[in-house]
Amino acid sequence: MRYIYSIIKADYLQRTRSYAFLITLAITFFAAYSFVPPPTASYTTLSVVGYKGVYNSAWVGYVSGMMTAIMLSLYGFFLVNGGIKKDIETEVGLIIATTPITNFVYLLSKLFSNFLVLLTIAGCTFVVSIIMFFVRTSGHAFILSNFLIPYLLFAAPSLLVVSSLAVISEVFLRKRSFLQYLVFFFLFGIMMANVTAQKNETLAVLIDPLGVRTMTSSITNLVNSQFHQHIDGVNLGFIYGHKQAFKTFEWNGITITSLFLFSRLLWIIFAFGLVYLSSFFFHRFDFKQPVSKRKKSSINAEQNTVITFAATGINRALIPPLVIDYGIFPFIKTELLLLTRKGTKWLGLVIGGLSLSMLFAPINVAHAYLLPILWFLQVTRWSELATKEETNRLHYFTYASYKPLQRMLPAQILAGITLALVLALPLILRYAINLDVYPIFDIINGAIFIILLAVCLGIVSRGKKLFEISFFMLSYALIEKVPILDYMGAIKHNNHISYMVIILTVNVFLLGISFAVRNYQSRHL
Amino acid sequence: MSLVIKNLTKQYNKHKTGLTDYSITIDKGILGLLGPNGAGKSTLMKIIATISKPTHGTLFLDGEDIVTNPDHIRKILGYLPQDFGVYPNLNAYEFLEYIAAMKGVGGKDLRKRIDMLLEGVNLTTDAKRPIGTYSGGMKQRIGIAQALLNDPKVLIFDEPTVGLDPEERVRFRQLISDLADDCIIILSSHIVSDIETIADEVAIMKNGILLHKALQPDIINQVKGRVFEAVIDNHEIAALRTKHLVIDTSRQKDKSRVRYILKDSQPEPTAVAVNATLEDAYLFLTQNNA
Repeated sequence: MRYIYSIIKADYLQRTRSYAFLITLAITFFAAYSFVPPPTASYTTLSVVGYKGVYNSAWVGYVSGMMTAIMLSLYGFFLVNGGIKKDIETEVGLIIATTPITNFVYLLSKLFSNFLVLLTIAGCTFVVSIIMFFVRTSGHAFILSNFLIPYLLFAAPSLLVVSSLAVISEVFLRKRSFLQYLVFFFLFGIMMANVTAQKNETLAVLIDPLGVRTMTSSITNLVNSQFHQHIDGVNLGFIYGHKQAFKTFEWNGITITSLFLFSRLLWIIFAFGLVYLSSFFFHRFDFKQPVSKRKKSSINAEQNTVITFAATGINRALIPPLVIDYGIFPFIKTELLLLTRKGTKWLGLVIGGLSLSMLFAPINVAHAYLLPILWFLQVTRWSELATKEETNRLHYFTYASYKPLQRMLPAQILAGITLALVLALPLILRYAINLDVYPIFDIINGAIFIILLAVCLGIVSRGKKLFEISFFMLSYALIEKVPILDYMGAIKHNNHISYMVIILTVNVFLLGISFAVRNYQSRHL
Repeated sequence: MSLVIKNLTKQYNKHKTGLTDYSITIDKGILGLLGPNGAGKSTLMKIIATISKPTHGTLFLDGEDIVTNPDHIRKILGYLPQDFGVYPNLNAYEFLEYIAAMKGVGGKDLRKRIDMLLEGVNLTTDAKRPIGTYSGGMKQRIGIAQALLNDPKVLIFDEPTVGLDPEERVRFRQLISDLADDCIIILSSHIVSDIETIADEVAIMKNGILLHKALQPDIINQVKGRVFEAVIDNHEIAALRTKHLVIDTSRQKDKSRVRYILKDSQPEPTAVAVNATLEDAYLFLTQNNA
């Protein structure tokens, strides 16, 4: 147990010393800034039908804490998930397995390092929320406890629960990242539904891992009593299209009840309990299936070492003459091969089924829901588009090849776009039959955007995670109909031409960054 | 064909220098690079392979500046990095087709070319298995095959014998010797015997500096007549180390057989002069320049 601090520290440093983490922090600062929108903004982050709190210390602090608890819980899972997988891939796990460390202590160290990473990000939003208080408000007193309480009682326990879920998902679902994402997304949906739907107040507070039900109830109670209303819920998240005049009320924070404190403690115990229970099922890096496979391949290898290089060597006189071909089609072919070979058969069936279902579903449902889901199912494929050379340590070859920037990178982009468009083909066909051209342009524009985003974030962060998180948030926002994040024309826009021009401009920008950074990387290994 | 490197410096940051004012001319034949870890061998190879830019200095291949025009060498380059990887889901054919595309090698006979290379490195029977299932030695052989795909005129092998068993190493040396007639081959290794058996010239490096570059016999001449072996008591070894450069010791019950090089000293009375090897010269040059 005495070594746990060193393990946590090493794990934490390893995760935070990366470009991806720096970029995540930059996005966090922006997100924290957007949690407290100016009164003129076209969105709110918390409102009660027609009512909004005045920007006092409690409102700014609690809204920021609540948004951190919700948003960071959502994308934090994707961020911290993969700690054990990393130990498997780097084979550090094999060393760990031979040490006296117990399963529980190892998993506990993963829990704490996950938690610390998320707390670091929450710490940033905390600082920004205080700055935003002074930026957005005037004439209200600054009360520190209004900032500390939501971060300590909403954000911290919920982030601990998420950290714990990230650990146990890796214990039970091992390296199946995509399945882990799906299960977590499903669980998160249930969590959010419970927060807003549960009528029994005591039960609602108890089953709310995010802890925000106490806050939303406090706000609705205040509005109902002050304005004689019967409102039973609030709108959470980035809510667009609420530019109407709100009536304002002054809310001064929650009353901390023993039930609330008990529920927060319960979730903390739950987080540790989950990790403890999962330690009984932890594989400890002993994989029966791969081991047997390894044995099989080593038998083959042994047979081959009997005759190693051909005794005759390479007879160069018999090798056909060299034919030079600097085209990019062989690259595209291989890139497509690599894209399609990734993923399991069952996932392939789901993707095929979803793609075909766009032929029969109502066209707006197909565009607004099925296509975003279908494309999101490609996340692990596209996130590797421009990162797989480094991940597989093949970049020595690619960067030393002839004109890598003019041939390799375009081939990767084209292969990704081809896959996106092939999947969207049923929907494109329907729009073509209806002679509806704009949505076809939108889908093509969207396909180019998402592939360029994958390539750009992969190249800049030198990893997959940043794109995976961004793509998840984008897909979620699209399904939630957040217009500003609609990259595929799934939502109606007032000025369609301007919308298309914006996406095109972003695409050009992403393309420029990708080429510039890759150009630098290819000469600076 | 000649590769002329002048005043090459690679500064990674304030505290870390890969190469310092490094100048060398490399002609056709096999140049062996020898040096301890951190000597700058891989840095030099990366710069020649155009995947790392020098901070200062020039590299000319047949008069063409390859720092400003890297594609000039890339067309005729075969490179086997020290720590390369593969796409585990591709089989050997698919992988080599992919590398061929990178190198701009195509045509209807590409498959035949790949077949012959796979035959040469004896991977034909495993060519349709995913490379992810290959052993370390097999992966290394795929790496060698990919380096030869484009009939390279400049071949760079960074620690090519790592992962190869003794028999594979012998075959590899034979393969490289066959290619040396019309190519520049640059080969680095920690195993002095690998360099000793195939390199025409040897360059010894340390701390990013070229200590010596010459034909093998000329390098060995540096220590000719100064290498001795003696059988001494174990407790005498420490005293011997203060006077001479001890290369090797092997225990024989209460005694030890010690191989050493004279510094500016006289040989021990019981010592016997022995033939100098490349390893003796290498250790003498690198340790004398500590």
